[in-house]
Amino acid sequence: MVERRELPIGGRLNAFFDTLGKAWAIFVRDARLEVAYPASFWLQWLNILVSVTLSFFLARLFGSSAKFGFHGAASYFFFLTVNLAFVRFQQTALMSFARGIRDAQTAGTLEVLLATPTRLPIIVLSAGLWAFGFTALQTVVYLAVAVLFGLDLQHANIAAAAVFLFLTVTSLSTLGVMAAAAVMTFKQVGPLDFMMSGATNLFGGVYFPLSILPAPLQAVGWTLPITHALSGLRGALHGASLAQLAPEAMWLSVATILLLPVSLVIFTRAVRRAKIDGTLGQY
Amino acid sequence: MTAPGSDAIVVDRVSKSFPMVTGAFNWIRHLGRPPRQTALHDVSLTVASGELFALLGPNGAGKTTLLKLLATLSIPDRGRIFIDGVDTARDSQQAKRRIGLCTSEERSFYFRLTARANLEFFGSLVGLQGKTLRRRIREVVELVDLRASLDQRFESYSSGMRQRLTVARAILADPDVLLLDEPTRAVDPIHAEAIRVLIRDELVNRQRKTVVLATNLLEEAWRLCDRVAIINSGRIVALGAPTLLEQSAQAIRRFDVMLDALDDDLLARTQSVRGFQGLQIAHERLGVKLTVALRVTDSSLADLMRALTANGSVLRDFRPVESQPVDVFKDVVQVKSDG
Repeated sequence: MVERRELPIGGRLNAFFDTLGKAWAIFVRDARLEVAYPASFWLQWLNILVSVTLSFFLARLFGSSAKFGFHGAASYFFFLTVNLAFVRFQQTALMSFARGIRDAQTAGTLEVLLATPTRLPIIVLSAGLWAFGFTALQTVVYLAVAVLFGLDLQHANIAAAAVFLFLTVTSLSTLGVMAAAAVMTFKQVGPLDFMMSGATNLFGGVYFPLSILPAPLQAVGWTLPITHALSGLRGALHGASLAQLAPEAMWLSVATILLLPVSLVIFTRAVRRAKIDGTLGQY
Repeated sequence: MTAPGSDAIVVDRVSKSFPMVTGAFNWIRHLGRPPRQTALHDVSLTVASGELFALLGPNGAGKTTLLKLLATLSIPDRGRIFIDGVDTARDSQQAKRRIGLCTSEERSFYFRLTARANLEFFGSLVGLQGKTLRRRIREVVELVDLRASLDQRFESYSSGMRQRLTVARAILADPDVLLLDEPTRAVDPIHAEAIRVLIRDELVNRQRKTVVLATNLLEEAWRLCDRVAIINSGRIVALGAPTLLEQSAQAIRRFDVMLDALDDDLLARTQSVRGFQGLQIAHERLGVKLTVALRVTDSSLADLMRALTANGSVLRDFRPVESQPVDVFKDVVQVKSDG
């Protein structure tokens, strides 16, 4: 007989290691799949250079303004580069969760995954491990390239930025899991992708400060996690302390605490619905 | 029915239906309750520990639906399912720990990864790690004769190799219960036979696994399995050892009849014989050949002879046909589902 870790015998520690082992397996799978498509893999890095270059020349049209910084004036290059570097986390949240489910449906692996004794939250949340890790690495490279173009990060509060990075990932993951639930039910990722990207670009303050929008549209922007994530990250990289960024941090924390269990419940119910309707393997 | 200790699988009055229409528009049109089509009607069966059990039936009969219910990939409308005494509705995680699933879907791997990387991934999700995982991978690929191609990408595998890899994945964690959905589909005859030997001799006879085998291949079910459940239109229409099913089907016999000619009158007389089940007609060089299926009773054979020879018809030959598994299958599926 094959030795397997049985949860009741080993108790919580074994359950923890069992979970870690499964999460690691999903991480390794995603890493292997990433490099299995070399053209796509290398083009992503080239895209960083293109994006930073574009931001650099676009920023020449505008001067520095207090609207672009947290305290004191900052350049539009700073504003746009930091936003474009970190807005990728939202795309990643959608790509890794919703597209992950969609790919598993089309590849025919979803039913096999769900037939293993792996709990749903582990399957769905672990799908973000590689994607967020890889995006974090790309973001560091993005900022490093931007520094070569003149981005000033001398006053950056790295600790505060790390806290906001964590809050960004956790809060956006909840949207990703809900998007995955929608894909499980409706078998489509396109409309969600469009809605979330469109809403982010328009109301999230990616290309321009939210303050130039009319008040009702600013209110819409306030409801999006990405708005607070970008605001906090810009502030941290402009030298603001965690205390100064507390409102944004609080917003993201509360959103995560409220939405994470809700998103997991929605996803679990979507899977149950698919099992009842027999649509688990359909796409 | 309760979950007994000696039964590896208990299916207790299970029914399953699926919505006949899908999509948000239809869902709204039917006020959230779209019409449903029943795929399984009140199915009950038990599979003993260490038994090789076949689910046999035509396409769309409900075999895969039942298999997915056993694998907890689908939820029954009514009824309960126990795997090794574990209620799948109450504790699907524990039930899944006991199951190895071999799907008939050959796409269920990551095409860009090697077979080894695929098995490492799925092995980790069933709780195997490190040396144990690597040893098991070596063992299972040896059993399905894929050792030499273990480091090839899955996309380079032929259909037969892919199917063999699904068998390897199903047995990777050494589960007590194996659910095999057409495991020899698309596999060449030599490897198909090797898989059958693996199932019968290694997994069932030596390792005492419980195996449920869904198949369209009559000979495979008949030759390999301890018991066969024949499913048609979502109902189990026959269940028992192949020899018992043959005996029960002996009541329906087939006869080859050679006639000079066949007219409507003779045809009507033949069809009106008591116990008549079916008829095949073939026009041959020497005349017309009828294959008549008849439920044999005290008088039915004599009635048939009278019908065939009435009004001067010339009966050239009359001989019983030896019963084959396919005849048993046809009789059971046609007669009982009509009933």
